Amino acid sequence: MSGLDDDYDIQDPIQHENEEEDNEQQSQPRASGKSRGSIYDALDGEDEEEEDDEEDEDEEGEEPGRDRGRKRAKVCAIVDLHRCHRHRRNAVNRFLDVEAEVDTEEEEEEEEDEAGGDEFIADIGPEGDEDDVNRRAAVNARLDRRERELNDQDLAKIAQNLHERYGRAAVRYTGDMNEVPQRLLMPSVHDASLWQVRVKPGRERDIVFSLMRKAIDLEYTAQPLSILSAFQRDSLPGMVYVEARSAQQVNQACKGLVGVYPSRGIVLVPIEEMASLLQIKKQDLTVTPGSWVRIKRGKYQGDLAQVMDITENGEDVGLKFIPRIDLNPRDDANVDGRKRKKAGTGLTTMRPPQRFFNYEEVVKVHGRKQVSKRNQVYVFQNDTYKDGFIEKDFKLNALQLDNVNPTLDEITKFSRGQDGADNENPVDLSIIAEASRKAAIAVLQPGDHVEVFEGEQSGVYGVVDSINQDVVTVTAIGVDIDGQKVDVPARSVRKRFKPGDHVKVMTGQNADETGLVISVTDNVVTFLSDMSMQEVSVFSKDLREAAEVGSGTNVVGNYELHDLVQLDLQTVGVIFKTERDSFRVLDQNGQVRLVQPHQISMRRNSDRAIATDSEGHELRVQDNVKEIEGEARKGRVLHIHQSFFAFLHNRDILENGGVFVTRCRSLSSLAPKGNLVKPGMDLGKMNPTAAGGAQGGMVGSGAMGRGPRDRDIGAVITVVKGNHKGYNGIIKDINGTQARVELNTGNKVITIDKQKLYRRLPDGKLQPLSAPYHQQGQQRNMGPPAGVPSRTPNPYTASRTPGWGGGRTPNPFASGDGKTPAWNASSRTPNPYVSDGSKTPAWNASSRTPNPYAGGDGGKTPAWNASSRTPNPYSEPSWGSGGWGGSASPARPADSSWSSWNAPTPAAAATPGFLSAPTPAAYTGAPTPAGIMNDPGSMSAPTPGVSGNEDDHDSDFGLVLRDPLIANKKVVAEIRGSADAGWLDGDLEFKKGYVSSAFASLSEITALFHPLDSPGDPPVHVPTVYLQPVQPEEVEDHALVLRGIHKGKHVVLRESAGHGVWKVSQFQDPEAFSIDEESLVKLYHV
Amino acid sequence: MATIPPQARSKQLRACLLCSIIQHPMDFRKIGCPNCEELMQMKGSPDRISVCTTTYFDGIIAVIDAEASWVARWQRTSKYVRGMYAVRVKGRIPEDVEAELESRGIKYRPRDQSDQD
Repeated sequence: MSGLDDDYDIQDPIQHENEEEDNEQQSQPRASGKSRGSIYDALDGEDEEEEDDEEDEDEEGEEPGRDRGRKRAKVCAIVDLHRCHRHRRNAVNRFLDVEAEVDTEEEEEEEEDEAGGDEFIADIGPEGDEDDVNRRAAVNARLDRRERELNDQDLAKIAQNLHERYGRAAVRYTGDMNEVPQRLLMPSVHDASLWQVRVKPGRERDIVFSLMRKAIDLEYTAQPLSILSAFQRDSLPGMVYVEARSAQQVNQACKGLVGVYPSRGIVLVPIEEMASLLQIKKQDLTVTPGSWVRIKRGKYQGDLAQVMDITENGEDVGLKFIPRIDLNPRDDANVDGRKRKKAGTGLTTMRPPQRFFNYEEVVKVHGRKQVSKRNQVYVFQNDTYKDGFIEKDFKLNALQLDNVNPTLDEITKFSRGQDGADNENPVDLSIIAEASRKAAIAVLQPGDHVEVFEGEQSGVYGVVDSINQDVVTVTAIGVDIDGQKVDVPARSVRKRFKPGDHVKVMTGQNADETGLVISVTDNVVTFLSDMSMQEVSVFSKDLREAAEVGSGTNVVGNYELHDLVQLDLQTVGVIFKTERDSFRVLDQNGQVRLVQPHQISMRRNSDRAIATDSEGHELRVQDNVKEIEGEARKGRVLHIHQSFFAFLHNRDILENGGVFVTRCRSLSSLAPKGNLVKPGMDLGKMNPTAAGGAQGGMVGSGAMGRGPRDRDIGAVITVVKGNHKGYNGIIKDINGTQARVELNTGNKVITIDKQKLYRRLPDGKLQPLSAPYHQQGQQRNMGPPAGVPSRTPNPYTASRTPGWGGGRTPNPFASGDGKTPAWNASSRTPNPYVSDGSKTPAWNASSRTPNPYAGGDGGKTPAWNASSRTPNPYSEPSWGSGGWGGSASPARPADSSWSSWNAPTPAAAATPGFLSAPTPAAYTGAPTPAGIMNDPGSMSAPTPGVSGNEDDHDSDFGLVLRDPLIANKKVVAEIRGSADAGWLDGDLEFKKGYVSSAFASLSEITALFHPLDSPGDPPVHVPTVYLQPVQPEEVEDHALVLRGIHKGKHVVLRESAGHGVWKVSQFQDPEAFSIDEESLVKLYHV
Repeated sequence: MATIPPQARSKQLRACLLCSIIQHPMDFRKIGCPNCEELMQMKGSPDRISVCTTTYFDGIIAVIDAEASWVARWQRTSKYVRGMYAVRVKGRIPEDVEAELESRGIKYRPRDQSDQD
C-alpha cells in the first residue's frame, strides 16, 4: 500500500464525487456495496475521504498498525477542522454508540440530535483524545456499512436462502420404496458386501455412531471413508457390520476407533446371510391386558404384576400389583429432607414387604395429608392405589415379559385381594394356564401319564408314547379305546396325577420337593411334602412321578439349613428353609428374609455360645428349653446370638420351618437339674479368692475366657501359599476354613485359607496345622502350667518382692544358731512352713504350684522364692538375653571359681547385692550351701521365677537348654520324674537321649528329645522339667560347659582331677583347664 | 443430512415410526423428522413426537451413503437423508398419518418387521 497521502490524493476527487452522488440518491435502496458510516456522510468530503481510506485498508486485510499513527494524526487534524459538525466524545463515550441511530445525510437531524445529546455526551476532551475519536469513527463506519449491506440484500434472496435451509420439511413424503416387495430387495452380487467386525461388547452402538461421525468428518478430505453403512444389532453383542466394497475399506474406517478389534478379523458375511442379519427379530413379546409380567428394577424388582392397559405406542404399560409401602419409615427422613432420603435409598435399605394398601395403616404412619382420595382411588406419594393394589405405569423395557412363571402363591395372593378374604371373582387363571401350557409341552416325556383335557379326545388318558414337536402320541388307557395310539396336540394334554401318587417337583420354587399327591384339581396338584409335611400346591406340569423321597437340598453353597449366618453388621439369622438358590432366613428381629448365598457374609459358630436363661442357669446350644412367657413354645436351642437372642427349633411349629427366635431371658430349661451341676461353671471357681487350691487366680482368669478356643488360635504360622507366601504370623481367629492371621510384618491382619498355613515350630520347621501338635497348642490354653510355676507371676507367691520374702527372713531356726542364714540353709530345715523337712522346699515348690495357700509343700515356696529369686536391684535380669549369662547377680563373682562359692562364710554371700536383697532369707531359702556350690547356675538365675538350687535343676535345665550358647548342641539328658508326674505314663522314664533343640512356650520349655538307645525312633517332645543333664563319666567323653567362663565350650574330658573335678580341654585344643563335673553335661558326639 | 445424536447410548433416543430415523427428542422438536416431517408434523410439538417416535427400537444403522448402500435399500431408507436409522422399530404410526398415507395411495409398511414379503 502506498502512502496515505498518495491514496488520499488519488482517491479524493472520485470519492468526493461518489459521495455527493450518494447524498443525492439517499432515498434509493443501496444495493451496491459502497455504503458508509452514517455520520461521515455528514462530514465534508475530506473527512469522508479519510475514513474511506481507512476502511479500505482494513478491508484489504492489512495490518494498519504501522501506519495508524500517522493516519490518526491526519484524521485528527481533519476532524478538528470539522469539529463543529461532529459530536465530541471523550474516553467514556467510546463505549456509547451515540451516533448509531443517526441517519446518513440529514444534517439537521443530526444537529438536533447533537443538541439533545449534549447533556449526557460529554464534551470532547483536550486535543489528545482526538485520535481515539477518529479510530472509533472508523470502526463505526465499518459496522454501519455491513449492516446496511445486509439490509439491502434482496428479500427474495433471503427467502430463497431460508427455503434452502429449512425447506426440506416441506418435501413431500412419497414412500416410493414401499411398493417394492422385500424379496426384490435381496442383495445381489453388485451390492457392496457386509463385513463383520469384532468390537468390545457393549460398545457396539458407540462404534456405529463413531463410524458415522468419522464418515462425516472425513467426507471432504483427501481420504474420505468409503464405507456405505454400518449397523449393529442388540441381539448380536460384540459385533458390528460394515457395508463396504472391500475389507481394506472397512479396516481404514475402523482404524483409530476405540473398542474395535480389526485384528480379530474382518469377516465377510455371505451374501445369503446378509438379509437375515437385518431380519433378526427378538421374540416378539407382546403384552396384552391381563397378562403377567415382572418388574425388572427398583423397589418392586421381581414382583409379579398384571397388565391393565398399554399406551398406543406400546411403550408404557399400566400395571397393577401389590404395593410395598414402608410402614416403618425412618424418622429422620422427614426431618432431614430429601438428601437423607436419597442417601438412604442408595443403601441396602430393607424392602418393605408386599402388602395391600390399607388406608388406615398408611394414614397412621405417614399422616393424613399424605394420602388423598379420589373416587375409589387413593393417591399416596404420587402413586394411585385401588382396591389395595398399586396402579402404576411402567416403561416396557423395565418389565420382564418372558419367563414370568407366576407361582401359584403369587397368583393366589393377587386373587385374595385386599381384605385377605377370597375374592368373589378370582384372577383368571386361564392366562397362567395358557402360559404354562406352552411350557408344559416342553416338559412332556415319553412315559408320562397324561390326560387330554380339551378337544375331541377330551377325557382320554394314557401314557405318552412319543412326542413329535407339538403332537403327542398317547397310548390310551381306558375302556373303549384301550391300547390305541392317539395323536393329540401337546397343548391339549396335561400330566395326570391321582391322589396317592408319589411325585417330585421338577421346577419352580418348590423344586426337588417330593410328596404324596392329596388332591388334583384341573392342572393344580396338591401334595403333602415329605420334607415339611405341609401341603404344597403346584402345577402338574412341574411334577413328575418319582419313587424317590427327596430330602431336598439343605445345602446351598456353603450354607445349610439351620446355620446361623451373618446378614449384615447388625443382623444375623438362621436359615430355616433352603430353596433352589436362596434361603429363607429368620433374623434376630423375627423377620423373615429371602437371601441369596452371596448376601450372607459369613456363617457364625455359636457352638460355644453361652447365655443365661430366666433362672440364671446357663443356656447352651442344643438345650431343650421352653418359653416362660408368651406362647410358651418349646424348642431346642439352635443358636445363641450375643447371649441375648436364642434361635429355637421345634418341629411341631409350622411357621418358618419350626424356627423361631426369642430372648434367652425368657427361656427356661426343660431339664434344669442337669444344668445346675454342670461342671466348670461353678462361680466359686471363677473367683480366684475363693478358689484356693492349686488353681489359684490364674485358673480363674483362664476359665473366664470364652470357652475353649480353636486349637490353632494363637499358633505361630508361616504362609506357604498365595500372595502372602513366606510371611509369618499368628492366628488370631478361625472361622471355618478361614483363619485370620496377624502378620508379623506390617501389622496387618489378613484372612486366609487355613490350608495355606503351616505351623512354624520354634526350631523353624513347618508342619501342617492339621498335624497333631501338643506341646504348644494345648498347653497354652490350659491355665497355669503345672510344670514351671515359677515363671507365672503368681500374685500370691509374692516371690518377687524382696520385702515380702524378707519379712519372713528371721527364721527362728536360723537365728537361733547365731550362724549366718546360709549355714542354716545348709541344715536344710529353714522353712517354718515345711511339713516334711527332709525335702528342700524349693524342690517341690519349683515343680509344683507355688501357691502359699496350697498347703503341703507348696506352701514353702514364698520363703524360698524370696530368697533365691530375689531380683537383684543392681542387676536387671532379663529373661532370655544376658540374664542367664551369669551376670544375674552382681554378688556373684564374674568368674565363678566354684571354690570361692564353697566358702561357707556368710561373708561370701554378703555382697552388696545380696545384702540389699533380703539376704538372710535368701540363704534360708536356699537349701544348702552345697546346693549353691553345686549349682551356681541358680545364682545366676535370670528371672525371679527361676529357682536356684540343685534340686530344681531339672526345670532349670530347660533354661540352660535355651541358652544361646548351649542351645542346639546335642546335649545328652535323661528323663526323670515323668513317671511320678504321669507324663506319658512314665514310659520314657530313665531314657537317655540328646536334645537337638528346646523351645519355650508360655508355660514350659519343651525339648526335642532323641532317644539314644533306639536311634530309629522319632524324636519326642519332652518338657524339660523331666529332663536332667547327663554328666560325662569317662575320659575322652565330649562335654559341654554349662557355666562359668568356659560356658558353651565344647570340651573333651582329659583326666579326672578328683572330687568331681575334671581336667578338660577344648576339642582339638591342648590347653587344659579344670572344671567341676557339675558344670559339665555330656555331649552327644558320634 | 440428519442430526447425529451426540450420545450413542442415550436412553432418550427416539426412532421415527415411519422412516425409522433415530434422533434425540430435542432434534425432533427443533427440526422434526428430516424425512417425513410433512406427514408427521412433529416440529415443536412434543405430543406428536411422543406418538410418532418411539424409544423401543433395535439395531442402529449408520447410513453413510444412502443411495449406494444395500442396507439402506433393504431398509427402504435409500431415498432418505443420511443419518442414524433403526433396524427395527416397534409400534405403528398414528392413525391419522396412516389414513393420510392411504389417501395418497402409499402403502404403509410398519418398521417392526411384522410383514415381510
